[in-house]
Amino acid sequence: MAKSAPNGKRTLTELAEDSGVPARTIRYYIARGVMPPPLVGGRGASYAEEHLERLERIQKLQAQGLTLAQIAWKLGEHPLERQLVEPTAWWNYPVAEDVVVMVRSEMRPWRLKRVRSLISQMAAQLRSAEKEEGGDAR
Amino acid sequence: MPVETETGRFVAVGTESGKPIQLAMQQLWLQGKILPVGARLMVRHVFRSAEAKPLEVVYGFALPRDAALRQFVITGEGFRVRSRLKPTEEAVKEYEAGIQEGHLATLARQYGDGLVNLTVGNIRPGETVVVLLEVLAGVQVLDNGLRFRFPFTLAPSYHIRARTAEVEPGVGEMELPEDEFGDLILPGYQRDAVELHEVGFSLSVRMAQAIAEVSSPSHSVRVKMDGEQRSRVMLAADRDVPDRDLVLDVATRESRAVVLAARAQDIRRRFAAVVPSHAFGETPAAPRQVVFVLDRSGSMQGVPIEQAKRALEACLGALAEDDRFSIIAFDDKVERFDSEMCQGDQHQRARARDFLAAITARGGTELAQAITAAVKLLSQAAGDILILTDGQVFGTERILDEARAGGVRLHCLGIGSASQDRFLTLLARETGGVCRFLTPRERVDLPAVDLFASIGRPLAASLRARVEGTACGQIAPPPASAVFAGMPLVLFGDAAEGEQGRLVIEWENPQPGKLEFSLDPADCGMAETLRLLQGSRLITDLDAQYTVIPGERAMERRDQKRIADRLQTLSEAYGLASRCMSLVAVIERAGDQPGELPKTTVVPVGMPQNVSFAAYFSSSAVSGIMAMPWAPQRSVLLPVSRQGPEAIGSTLEHDGASLFGRASEVLRQTVQCDRTDSVRDPAGVTAPEDLLLDLARKLEPDGGMPGRDDFARFVHSLVAVLAFLIEGHTATAGAFRTHVQRLMRFLETSAFPALAAKDAQAVNEVLAWIKKGPKPSWQTSELLVWNEQEAWERIRQTMGSGRAV
Repeated sequence: MAKSAPNGKRTLTELAEDSGVPARTIRYYIARGVMPPPLVGGRGASYAEEHLERLERIQKLQAQGLTLAQIAWKLGEHPLERQLVEPTAWWNYPVAEDVVVMVRSEMRPWRLKRVRSLISQMAAQLRSAEKEEGGDAR
Repeated sequence: MPVETETGRFVAVGTESGKPIQLAMQQLWLQGKILPVGARLMVRHVFRSAEAKPLEVVYGFALPRDAALRQFVITGEGFRVRSRLKPTEEAVKEYEAGIQEGHLATLARQYGDGLVNLTVGNIRPGETVVVLLEVLAGVQVLDNGLRFRFPFTLAPSYHIRARTAEVEPGVGEMELPEDEFGDLILPGYQRDAVELHEVGFSLSVRMAQAIAEVSSPSHSVRVKMDGEQRSRVMLAADRDVPDRDLVLDVATRESRAVVLAARAQDIRRRFAAVVPSHAFGETPAAPRQVVFVLDRSGSMQGVPIEQAKRALEACLGALAEDDRFSIIAFDDKVERFDSEMCQGDQHQRARARDFLAAITARGGTELAQAITAAVKLLSQAAGDILILTDGQVFGTERILDEARAGGVRLHCLGIGSASQDRFLTLLARETGGVCRFLTPRERVDLPAVDLFASIGRPLAASLRARVEGTACGQIAPPPASAVFAGMPLVLFGDAAEGEQGRLVIEWENPQPGKLEFSLDPADCGMAETLRLLQGSRLITDLDAQYTVIPGERAMERRDQKRIADRLQTLSEAYGLASRCMSLVAVIERAGDQPGELPKTTVVPVGMPQNVSFAAYFSSSAVSGIMAMPWAPQRSVLLPVSRQGPEAIGSTLEHDGASLFGRASEVLRQTVQCDRTDSVRDPAGVTAPEDLLLDLARKLEPDGGMPGRDDFARFVHSLVAVLAFLIEGHTATAGAFRTHVQRLMRFLETSAFPALAAKDAQAVNEVLAWIKKGPKPSWQTSELLVWNEQEAWERIRQTMGSGRAV
């Protein structure tokens, strides 16, 4: 989508035209911290090639199902976070004393509900198996 | 919860996040008039900036049914500016240019699904700006009044490509795909709405008939009557929170046809007509084919799904032997009760009950798939589909497309505190069906039975309407093709002034009929309002056909272009916004700072009452923590425990000592539950209605109640029909009218030699008395504890003495 400006600098209107992302959305991205602010403020506010690249990256991440909050975290530029391997969040479901099922927390709620239902069934089956084993042992 | 800051001021803090809350929108106040065929509203938005730099505020909301934006007026210190209606692309450019120049700019833009973004940019630090937005909206017109619904929040809804996350404790975020929804920004969703902007309302009601009552199932209201036909209704408290729709019911004392007409500036007579359904005759008895479609998505969890299931069971009880039915339950998958339509016999109904018992709420809302499956089940047969849903789904234009293509009549029973009323109204109307939308505080089962009683059996079909006696009278939009019990026919149109115009309505089925009304009643003085309400209805209908589907073919794109052009023409003709025309205003002020980038913020709304936050928002990766989601979710809904159906059923079949066995015990338990539960069933379950539902559910295919022998069946049926009459349901009125009709037919046509020999004259007297429809003086609970002999003797004796009447 990128159509580079002669000096690589763009106004907000040009950035919106080149990226296909509406100006209001770009302002919202800046307010949400997923986009850096313009290079220069005021009447001559300008945006660089990096802004255009950032918009492309945001669109790709959105296509992967990430929300702006998740994108803001993923694109966070704190030095410490850069050094670390990206953490992932998981739900931890102990279904028996010695069995734990882990489910990725980013899962869509509708799918998560189904998975939780299956885990509940698994927990019930394990409990029933344990009872039977206990009965056999007696 | 307010806390004192270092500066000594009190500010609101979030109960879950603990962070101070700065409200960009302080207040949303609804004013205006509710009329017999629509509402003309003024919505007051108060924005205030607490930022140190210019602020751009985005407020997202849903349009009510048949609604369109007309204009807004933006006011502040030293300015008052009215919006202009422009093609959307032009309006956006004007808004953006205004922002770039540092001017105060406002844009009201409509998107798919009737969603709107109201954006106010460059509000200065510490400044307060008020936007007064004029909205024309439809109402649900009923035979004896109307229901008005206005959304104070916007429900999160299912979309296969929606992105959702809980961004901080108790705050959800939802984003929709840009290729389908453009730059629409949805609000943030707060589990607790207490700290959000205040909402309220003060509305005038102006009816054409005497008002019996104005009430609300959603809010506490104060009502002040101003003559017989006018009243004023206000929020009883000082303010409320944005977590549910405002729902107002206006009941009139009479139910008769009304024609509102007035002379417009263009020397034409504008009119709107409401013809109550009873003017078209009585519901005919005819076999029907019905597919019940039950929404079992996650957002239905709690009381709605349980009541919907009970309602379906009661509907099954109203099926006759020559009726055919099936059930489809759906979330993001479709589950069929059977691969084909089934006869309404006892075996199939028992199977259906087992099927329903296993249904729980879960998953998404793939309504289009469910409709397709239901249409396929009906195959070539003429039939109806009854959908029970909260309608919480985005991308509704595609669903409407598929529903239209199905060619089957859809009837909708909506359940929810946040409005999807617009969508379900369109879904029913576009397919020739009817729609009712209820709040979770009302019971769902009785209206379902009521709706079911009328579907499949229109009072009038193949209906046409025209204006006669004047050269160029017209009716638009075209009238509904059928009229169903309880739902009046509503028409808009215009005619040349000064001629004796008549509105003529004709229909072919089930019996040909004709009605005529004069178009020259006294001028109601509402010509412009009638014109605008007609326009908003026409725009809504056309907007519902305007789909933006990624990757669509060239031919479809051409079709859509044609719709967009027509939409623009309609918008211009009526002066109303649509998806192709937006409202914009730019205010130049001294001291504007060109090029300064405003901070964009989005107004949050409350999670709709009774919708589980967890149904849409799981914890996000942002927190990066391990969590244990096993902790029980806080729930505001606890179903009232009931033992009614099973207890009554078993007793009817096996207990000869008392007619309805444990019915009185069930009654006592239910009432006790209602009184003692700390968390009350918001549907407001009442015992007599529960008992009636249980009776309805038990109806046999021949229309009689079950029993050991003919005598027992006869007496059980007699008592059941009396119970319905006591609660106000007759063969022609009330939610259980179909059940009463079937019971009456059973009592009239069944042969009971033993009984007839014993007291044939008494049987005839009882039947004749019931046919007259007087309300017996017994209590339902009194009836249901009699044994068979006692019941028969008391009813027979009472007939003689006339005590019961």
